[in-house]
Amino acid sequence: MKIQQIRKDKEEYMEMLLMAEPQRDVIESYLDKGEMFVLVNGGDVCAVCVIELLKNRKCELRNIATRVEERGKGYAKSLICHVCEHYGNQCDTMYAGTGNSRKTLEFLGKCGFVNSHIAANYYAEHYREPVYEGEVKLTDKIYLKKQLDSEVNVKKVVDLALEAGRILLKNGAEIFRVDETMIRICQRFHVEYVDTFILSHAIFISAENGMEETYTKVKQVPLSSAHLGIVAEVNELSREISEGLVSIEEAARRLKAIDRIPEKKGYFQVLAAGAASGCYGYLLGASETESIAAFFIGCILYVWVLAAKRQNLSKMIVNIVGGVLITALAIAACHLPVPGNVQFGGMIIGSIMPLVPGLAFVNAIRDIADSDFLSGTVRMIDALLVFVYIAVGVGVTLSVYNRMGGGFML
Amino acid sequence: MIHGFMMHMVCPFLGTMGYAVLFNVPRRFYLSCGFTGMAGWSVYHIIVSHTFSAAFASFLGTMSVVFLSRVLSIRKKCPITVFLVAGILPLVPGAGIYHTVYYLVTNQLAEASLRGMESIKVAFAIVLGIVFMLAVPGKLFQAASNFRHQVPEGGRKKKGIFEQAVRGRFR
Repeated sequence: MKIQQIRKDKEEYMEMLLMAEPQRDVIESYLDKGEMFVLVNGGDVCAVCVIELLKNRKCELRNIATRVEERGKGYAKSLICHVCEHYGNQCDTMYAGTGNSRKTLEFLGKCGFVNSHIAANYYAEHYREPVYEGEVKLTDKIYLKKQLDSEVNVKKVVDLALEAGRILLKNGAEIFRVDETMIRICQRFHVEYVDTFILSHAIFISAENGMEETYTKVKQVPLSSAHLGIVAEVNELSREISEGLVSIEEAARRLKAIDRIPEKKGYFQVLAAGAASGCYGYLLGASETESIAAFFIGCILYVWVLAAKRQNLSKMIVNIVGGVLITALAIAACHLPVPGNVQFGGMIIGSIMPLVPGLAFVNAIRDIADSDFLSGTVRMIDALLVFVYIAVGVGVTLSVYNRMGGGFML
Repeated sequence: MIHGFMMHMVCPFLGTMGYAVLFNVPRRFYLSCGFTGMAGWSVYHIIVSHTFSAAFASFLGTMSVVFLSRVLSIRKKCPITVFLVAGILPLVPGAGIYHTVYYLVTNQLAEASLRGMESIKVAFAIVLGIVFMLAVPGKLFQAASNFRHQVPEGGRKKKGIFEQAVRGRFR
C-alpha cells in the first residue's frame, strides 16, 4: 500500500472523483489549485482525495472517493490520516463539506472530524440538478473540521509576531519596521491575512483563525528608554525567520533571550555621557579647559539620570533636575581656581547633549515622513517637551543665580 | 590650524561614539557610528566656516549623515536608526536652545527671539534633510553599498547562513 501525490494529469482520475461529486465543472473548479493524493495497492489505484489549501493555515478536503469494489477496507481512512500528517506543519484545521448523509458523516466522524458550521441551501444554489444521496435530497452543506496535530497554529504565530513587535516598539524602532517585521513573521508561518495597527505606544493585531473566527490581540507598550542593540537583534532574527531558517519554538526562545539583553554597564554609560559632553562642548565653541569640565559635568549628570531611571522617575523630573544640575555645576566650576578665563556657557551646551532626545526626534521625523502622523506627532511632542524641560531647568537655575547677586557675571 | 583640524575630526568621532553607547548600540557598530557623526560634522563645519547660513549647513550635513547611514545599514544589514540617531546629534541645535534660554532669562528678548528662530530654522533644515534623503529610492543605495564590496565578507556571511541551515535541519 502506497500513498503518492499526483501533480499532473489529474483528469485521469475524474471517473473516481465523480463518485463523490456529481457535477463535473465543480470538480474542475478545484482540481487545478487543489492537491491530489492517491492510494495505490498492488498497482491499482484504490482511493483518491483532493485537498485545497485556504488562507491562514486552513485547508479543505474537497473530495474523497474509494473504488466500489475496494470499499470497506479502510483505504479512505488511511488516506485521510496521511494527508492530515502531510498538512500538519502548514495548517491548523482541515475542513470537509458534505451533504446531510448519515454514512458520510459517520465516516468523517470516525476519522476525527467534528461539526463546524452549515452552509444553508448550498446544494440548491450551486448545482443545476437536485442532488440525491440514496433516497434523500440534499439541500444544506454541512461542514466538519478536524484539528491537525501541528506544533504551530494561528494563535502561536500571532503571539510570536506580537511579541517581536512589542520588543521593537519598546526599544525605539520606527512604526514601519514594527509593522513590516510582524507581517513578515506571520507570512513565513502561513498566516497570510493579518491586519496590524500600530501606534507609538500600542499594537493591535488581528488574524483570521478558522472559518468565521478571528484572533485579535491588543498590547499596550509603554514608552521607555531606547535600546538600539535589541532593535538590531530582532531585525536580524526577523530576517532569518523570513528566510525560513528558524522554527517557531526557536524564534520564541531567541526573542525571550533578546528581550533580556542588558543595557551597557553603568560606569561605561557614565563615561560615554562624559565623552559626548566634552566633545560636543568643544565643537560648539567651548575652550579646552571648559570641555574638560564639561566631561566631568556630563559624568555626574548621567549618574543622576541612571539613578532616576532606576527609581522610575518621570521624564519631566529627570530632565528638569538634569538641567538644574548641569547649570549649577557649571556655575560652580566657574568659581574654581583654574587657569584661564572659564565661562559656563560652553560647559552647559556640552553637558546638555546626553539629555537631548535624539531618538525620539529622528523617529518622529521618520514616522511623519512615512505619513504615520499619529505616532509621529506623539513622538515629536515627546521630543519637544524634553527640550522644554531642559530649557526650564537651565533657565530657572540661571535666573536664580542672577538674582542671588551673581548677576555681574552674566 | 592643524590642531584645530584634528580636534574637529576627533571630537565628533568620540562624541558620536559616546552617544551611541547611551543608546545601547551593539559594539560592532561603534566605529561606523563614529564615522557617520564625523562626516556629518565635517560637512557642516566646512560650509559654516565659508559663511553660509547655519541652516543650510545643517541641511547638507544631515543629508550626508542620512546618506552614509543608509549605505551602512544595507552593508551591515541592520536598522538605519542605529547610525542615524548618533550621527545626527552633533547637528542638533543644542547651543541655539541654550542661548535662547540664556537671553530669555537675562531679559534680552530681541536676542532671545533671534536665537530661537535660528534654532527652529536649523531644526527644520534637519527635518528636510532627513526627509529628502529618505525619499531617494533604495536601489541607488544598493548600488552604492555594493561598490567595492569585499569578497571575504560575503563569503563569511554565506557560510554563516549555511551553517545555520544545517543546524536547523538537525533540530
